Amino acid sequence: MSGLNFINPFGVREDPGTFTGDFYTENFSRKAKPGTVILNLGPQHPSTHGVLRIVVELDGEYVIRAEPVLGYLHRMHEKMGEVKTPWQFIPNMGRVDYLHPIAWNWAYVGAVERLGGIEVPERAEYLRVISCELNRIASHLMWWGAFVMDLGGVTPILYAFEEREKINDILQIVTGSRLTLSYFRFGGVSTDVDERFLRLTKEFVPYLRERLKMYKALVTDNIILRRRLEGVGPMGVDICQRYGATGPILRAAGVASDTRRDIPYGIYKKFDFDIPSGPTNDSFGRYLVRLAEVEESLTIVEQAIKELPAGAIRIDKAPKANYKLPAGETYFAVEGARGQVGCHLVSDGGTRPYRIKLRAPGFSNLSLFAEAAKGTLLADAIAILGSLDLVIPEVDR
Amino acid sequence: MTAIENLDSRFREAGALVVSRHDFKRDGLVLSATIPAGILTKLARGLKDDGYALLDLSVLEAKEGFLVTYHFDSFREPGRLALRVLATEEMPEVPSLYGIFEGAEWHERESADFYGLIFFGNPNPVPLILPADFDGPPPLRKDPKDLAALSALGLFGQADVLDPSWEALVNPPAPDKPGAGDGAGA
Repeated sequence: MSGLNFINPFGVREDPGTFTGDFYTENFSRKAKPGTVILNLGPQHPSTHGVLRIVVELDGEYVIRAEPVLGYLHRMHEKMGEVKTPWQFIPNMGRVDYLHPIAWNWAYVGAVERLGGIEVPERAEYLRVISCELNRIASHLMWWGAFVMDLGGVTPILYAFEEREKINDILQIVTGSRLTLSYFRFGGVSTDVDERFLRLTKEFVPYLRERLKMYKALVTDNIILRRRLEGVGPMGVDICQRYGATGPILRAAGVASDTRRDIPYGIYKKFDFDIPSGPTNDSFGRYLVRLAEVEESLTIVEQAIKELPAGAIRIDKAPKANYKLPAGETYFAVEGARGQVGCHLVSDGGTRPYRIKLRAPGFSNLSLFAEAAKGTLLADAIAILGSLDLVIPEVDR
Repeated sequence: MTAIENLDSRFREAGALVVSRHDFKRDGLVLSATIPAGILTKLARGLKDDGYALLDLSVLEAKEGFLVTYHFDSFREPGRLALRVLATEEMPEVPSLYGIFEGAEWHERESADFYGLIFFGNPNPVPLILPADFDGPPPLRKDPKDLAALSALGLFGQADVLDPSWEALVNPPAPDKPGAGDGAGA
């Protein structure tokens, strides 16, 4: 080990030529100024999510530079999509984003349906909306609890989990699982809802509305939370455009852009709901947008349950296991909890897609972090990171 | 629609090879243009000025090479566009869009990982998703025998071929010469 230069335990480099850590830390350290500290947040660290790793250069408590390091949860879903038949690939979609798997179900199944010209019965369209919105609420609640925990408030996540469990109970009735949901099928959904599903969902809507009032009193109006978030990490339209950020980040920047409204898919046109946007583009603005979206999703679920038509849940001529996708290219996008989820599908007419490209909103949203964190306090950088609502398997795919 | 017509004519004037209109309900695209790599940054800058964002970058490996597709969308007037650049095995290089859309850095690094492409001008050309010491072949590269021709993939919608050398790639001669393809059939 004689070639190794001494590195002190705080990561302060003795001279600019000395490096500490692995390739990414070294690569990052090359541009470091003398006297600064290089710190690795993650990949296993309580303040980051999942296995996100961020290398930061600190001057005192201030972040001079930051660079996320990805790939710890990379599973090459895109390759699996090329070697599996469309049917075999559906379960993968439950595993890309474990907090909002239904959106990914929809992106892939929707792309196949669009390319294959497959119709979906009306009842199935309603069930898709109901399950997707319930799942979105669960995702936002999980984010809410984890975000407040990032900021030092440990209690709220317990409330969030309580509501999330109720949603899991409901979705379990039709999907059989609580985390990696695979509910969608080509030409419909897998299972029809029963009386219990409808009853629990009807009970859940007013219940969560009451709870949201408590969330506001307990957390949203809390002066400590506000001081931690207000004015921290402003992200305007410009940075969203340069990095391709979508979802609540873009909406907090004042753009009421939502794939459900802009590029309507399914039957979202039939429902009356608002796209919350603004009024501030800081971390608190993103917080408010997500909580407002929970209420809008509740409104959608309420309408969909009320108007749920009778009928089949899958078309009779649904594709079979040996289904051959027609040759062609399509792009199908849906609004996930974190932004626009996209599936670019190319087929050469075989039983397996020729190419699948998955657009993960978290990937683009995280890419702006390095710029947003520049010059902030480390604690504020953690708040900014939490406000991006990251799900690492989605970023890495 | 006038905005799209404007873009259409701008792509043509800039020297696009193929300009295609698409049926959005089927292709999920409004307009696509296949362009030489040399005008990519110029067109991307124009799109940025018009309020478009780079949403993703998708590479397609085909017999002719790597078709690098940039998907753009506008926050104000949604309508997805695609710019396509063909990079070949001999010249696997495409200019980086980092100077226009900073988010391109990651998309390009990801494509470099998976296909071995080179995006010149990328400020941090190190592996993004794959580990730094990964020494296998680029994982999304296909076996040469599995490669399809671009024309077999239905990419070009209602195509207007502006460069004669692309005519054969977009509209190959009718299959009355069985020797031309690899004879896989329908």
